[in-house]
Amino acid sequence: MTNSNYKLTKKDFNQINRRSLLTFQAGWNYERMQGTGYLYLILPQLRKIYGDDTPELKEMMKVHTQFFNTSNFFNTIITGIDLAVEEEQGIDGKETVNGLKVGLMGSFAAIGDSIFAALIPAIFGALAANMATNGSAVGVLIWIVAQVLVMIFRWKQLEIAHRQGVSLITDMQDQLAALTDAATLLGVFMVGALVATMINVNIAAAPSIGGVPLDLQNSLDMIMPKLIPAAIVGGVYWLLGKKNMTSTKAIFIVLIVSVALSALGIIGN
Amino acid sequence: MTITWWQILLLTLYAGYQIWDELHIYSSASSPVFAGMISGLIMGDLTTGLVIGGSLQLTILGVGTFGGATRIDANTGTIMATAFSVSLGMNPQQAISAIGVPVASLLVQLDILARFANTFFAHRIDKKIEEFDYKGIERNFLLGIAPWTLSRMVPVFLALTFGGGLVQSVVGVLNNELQWLGDGLEVAGAVLPAVGFAILLRYLPVKKHLPYLILGFTITALLTVVFSDIQLLGENVAEVVENFEGTFNALPMLAITLIGLALATISYKNGQNGKGTPQQTTANTQEESTEGEIEDDEL
Repeated sequence: MTNSNYKLTKKDFNQINRRSLLTFQAGWNYERMQGTGYLYLILPQLRKIYGDDTPELKEMMKVHTQFFNTSNFFNTIITGIDLAVEEEQGIDGKETVNGLKVGLMGSFAAIGDSIFAALIPAIFGALAANMATNGSAVGVLIWIVAQVLVMIFRWKQLEIAHRQGVSLITDMQDQLAALTDAATLLGVFMVGALVATMINVNIAAAPSIGGVPLDLQNSLDMIMPKLIPAAIVGGVYWLLGKKNMTSTKAIFIVLIVSVALSALGIIGN
Repeated sequence: MTITWWQILLLTLYAGYQIWDELHIYSSASSPVFAGMISGLIMGDLTTGLVIGGSLQLTILGVGTFGGATRIDANTGTIMATAFSVSLGMNPQQAISAIGVPVASLLVQLDILARFANTFFAHRIDKKIEEFDYKGIERNFLLGIAPWTLSRMVPVFLALTFGGGLVQSVVGVLNNELQWLGDGLEVAGAVLPAVGFAILLRYLPVKKHLPYLILGFTITALLTVVFSDIQLLGENVAEVVENFEGTFNALPMLAITLIGLALATISYKNGQNGKGTPQQTTANTQEESTEGEIEDDEL
């Protein structure tokens, strides 16, 4: 039983945050994923809580190198709650900590991936790419500003999580649900907008009926502009639903089909 | 024009930096569009870099690195496509299809190799824990950055140093004997963003937000036509009328984003008011998004 009574200080939080933002996934591997990273983040603090060269420290170091994988936008929330428990209970909290880590990593991975790894890059990436293809770098700079805000958020969460401990999880659930919903709505809206602007392909074929050339593209535009891009995206969407289809395969299929259709003179840009 | 030694050096260094950024910092410097910007600057043709980076950005729009899945390495693809496009005067759209995409998918193998290599360091850490060697634990953890960065820096360095001649002869053939293929690759470059959009739709709860997909598409489709027609009209008038002043810009995408943001805010507020309902919406969103999600390049 350890009763070191060590309390984490501002300096400890800064050290963990620095390690999280700069090196958390340096040791990522197929066997334990972020396991060694989790230990590396809190190693100095564990040494202070349990004392150097104690059997308790060895025990906890082993616990913290086990398999771990979550969103690296939320990992320090788990770290914060974990440290609050270990500070209170020491080695007696081992089971609790293990349960917390395994229980939380999955749900945090899901939320973190969908908001920070998919939606924000999609929305800001689309904006930046759209301006870039028009020759402007402003969109890239806007994205950087957004990411700086995300970094501040990542820096702040550790201390809040540590202060609130386990009760944080229930508090957050309601808000996150509404936020995720609104964010996905914006994502869907933007994809619609992108389909209409970013795919510049037209019907090149101009069959003539009874000697009168027929401008197919113009006829389509009268029904609804940008129908071809919408149809292509719809087609790829359907393709991705097929079994054993990966995004890389889909990219190559689109590449080959486009070259073929262009060579036959059906589509052009 | 050939690629000079300092350009190769800078591009190689950036290739190493970007994977480190992608793993930890998330400054967006690890995105294809940023890779295009920086490679364009280094090569002395910002516009070409932005066009290539922008297109590849759209192609991988919905492809994330979820749960340690390896994704197509569009950043390295962008670096090489930009470098060769500028140095050999290759058409940017062609460079995307002929260099960017193949390079990006080939390098997936090296990403996997790097992730395997790190298992070795993880086992060394186990041993150091037994010995209470704290410095050793930290050293073996940080050494993991070497496989990561080298897996990007080595291919970029080798390709830029030795690949120029090969790429040049390919470009020659594409613009002469195989004109149809060259044109086709250009069209393919324009179609590729469709894949990014479709992947993203698979990942998002489309069925739930279908009205907003239709809204986003229709508003933008109509406005694009209006804006580009006015631009065309302006150019033509300027040719005929002297002293015609007036510049017409393309449709500002930020404006469209703001419309979307307004709709999202309204929805968020409604969700906040109806307490008790959000709980249910999470269940729905999660269900649908996992249902629609595709297996992501787990090779």
